[in-house]
Amino acid sequence: MILSTLTAENFRNLEPEEHAFHPASNIIVGQNGQGKTNLLEAIYFLGTTKSFRTTRAASLFRFGASTLAVAGRVLRDGVERTMRVALETGEIKRRLLMINGERMPLPEYVKAFTVFAYSADRLDVVRGTPDDRRRFLDRGIASINAAYLDDLSRYHRVLRQRNALLYEIGTGGAGVRSLDAWDEGFTSAAQSVQRARDAYKNELAEAFERIVAAHHYHVSGVRFEYRPNVADLRALRKEEVRARISLAGPQRDHLDFTIEGRPAADVLSGGELKTIVLFLKFAKLELFRRRFDEAPLFVLDDIDAELDLRILQKLLAGLPASTQVFATSAKEAFLEALRAGPHRRLTLENGRVTTSTEFV
Amino acid sequence: MGEAEALAHAILEVKERIIRCTTCNNMTDVDPCAICSDPRRDPSVICVVEEAFNIPTIEQTRDFKGMYHVLLGALSPLKGIGPQDIDVAGLVKRLSPGGVHEVIVATNPNVEGEATASYIAQQIHPLGIRITRLAFGLPVGGDLEYADQVTMSKALEGRREI
Ligand SMILES: [Zn+2]
Repeated sequence: MILSTLTAENFRNLEPEEHAFHPASNIIVGQNGQGKTNLLEAIYFLGTTKSFRTTRAASLFRFGASTLAVAGRVLRDGVERTMRVALETGEIKRRLLMINGERMPLPEYVKAFTVFAYSADRLDVVRGTPDDRRRFLDRGIASINAAYLDDLSRYHRVLRQRNALLYEIGTGGAGVRSLDAWDEGFTSAAQSVQRARDAYKNELAEAFERIVAAHHYHVSGVRFEYRPNVADLRALRKEEVRARISLAGPQRDHLDFTIEGRPAADVLSGGELKTIVLFLKFAKLELFRRRFDEAPLFVLDDIDAELDLRILQKLLAGLPASTQVFATSAKEAFLEALRAGPHRRLTLENGRVTTSTEFV
Repeated sequence: MGEAEALAHAILEVKERIIRCTTCNNMTDVDPCAICSDPRRDPSVICVVEEAFNIPTIEQTRDFKGMYHVLLGALSPLKGIGPQDIDVAGLVKRLSPGGVHEVIVATNPNVEGEATASYIAQQIHPLGIRITRLAFGLPVGGDLEYADQVTMSKALEGRREI
C-alpha cells in the first residue's frame, strides 16, 4: 500500500496544503519544531486514528481549533481510495471515519491502510508505564486482526458498566447481588482480550529473538513477560465493593521486558534501548507480513546518532521493496540509509513544506 | 384545517390510541395485542426482547410461532437502569402458572443485552424452565435491529441453552 497524497487541516502546526509522496522513500528534513514529526504523526493518524506521541487527542488540534481532519489518497492493489479522519472536540467529541466519502466503523476503517511507527524519541514501550505497554500489545494485535478492536471495546464497555455498578453498590444504590449479571460477561470479555495478548506476545518474542540473533546484536536475553491479571471475582467481591472499582482484568495486565530478571530499562544504555525498540518494531512488522501478502507503511521519527545506524540500514534493506518509508531527522546525515534509492525530499518550515523534490 | 395540520392531527390520534399490551408490553391499539390473542400461536414458548420494535425483526423470519415479552430496556448501570427498571418481574409472573416450556432470550448481542440475559437466566433457573439465548455468529453491530432475515433465522435455529 502506498500513500500518494496527504492533506491535514488544523492538525498541530501543519498548513492545509496537499503533499505528494514518493512510493518508495520520503525524507523529511527541517529544523526542530518546524513540524517534521507532525507530518509523520498525521500519516500515522490517517491510518490508525491515533497518534504515536500522545494519547490525548486534544493536543492534536491547532491552537484554538475545535475540528481537525486528515485526508489522504491510498493506492492498494491498483485501486486508489480516499481516506479521511475528522475529529471534533469541545462539548461534543466526535470522530468521523470515511473511505471514499462513506462512513466506516473503526475496525473496517483501519483495515484499509496499515502504518507502523518508530520514534527514537519515544521509548515508552520499554521505559514507560504498564499502560504504554498494554497499548503497545493492543495496537500490535489490531494491526494483524482488526476484529480485536471490537473485543477491546466490548471489554472497555463492560468494565465501565461494572465500575458504575460497583460505585452504585458502594453508595447504597444497588445490592451486591446485582453484580451477578455482569460478572460472566466481564470474565468472557476479559478472557478474549488476554488470550489475544498472550498469543501475540509469544509470537512477537519469537520474531524479536530471531531479529536480534540475525544482527548479532550484543544485547541478548531480553525476555518478554506477560502477566495477565486474572482473579476469582467471587473471592474478590468484598474487596471490589469496598474499593468501588474493578480490581482485576486486562486493565491491570503487565507486560515486562527484562534482562536477567531486571527491567530492561534499568540495564540498557539509551542507544541500546533505542535499538531494542527498533527491533521490536521490526518484529511487529514481521508478524504483519506473515499474515498479509503486502507491505505496510513505515514511519521513522527522529533518527539520531544514538541509534545504531548500521543496524537500521540493514533492517531497512531487509524490508520488501514495496515498503513505503517516511523518515525524519534533524541531521540529514542520518538519513543516508534511505537516500540510496529513488526518494522524495521534503523540507518543512513552520508547518509548511517549502521544498519538495524527487530524486530518481 | 390545513393539510399539515390534518396530518399532525392524524398522527396524534394514532399516538393516543397506542397502548402497551398488558400481557407482553408490545405496542398495540387493542389489549391484549394481536400476537397475545392469536390462537394459532404457541403459548409454551416466550421470546424476550428489549423493545417492542425488536418484534418485527424476529417476525420477519416466520420461524418463530411463540409469544413475546418486551422488557422495555436493558440493564445499564451507566444509565442508572437496574433490574427494577425493566420488566423481568412481569415475565416471571407469566411463567409461574406453568405451561411455558422455553424462554428464548433475544436481548441485543452487546454488553448490556448479555448482562440482561444473565440476569433473566438467574431469575428463571429456579423455575426449571428451559432457557435459551440467540446465537450470533456474525456481528450485527451489537444491535438486533440491524440483523437481517438470514442472520436472525440462523440465530434462532442455533440458540443455545444458558
Ligand atoms: Zn401482547
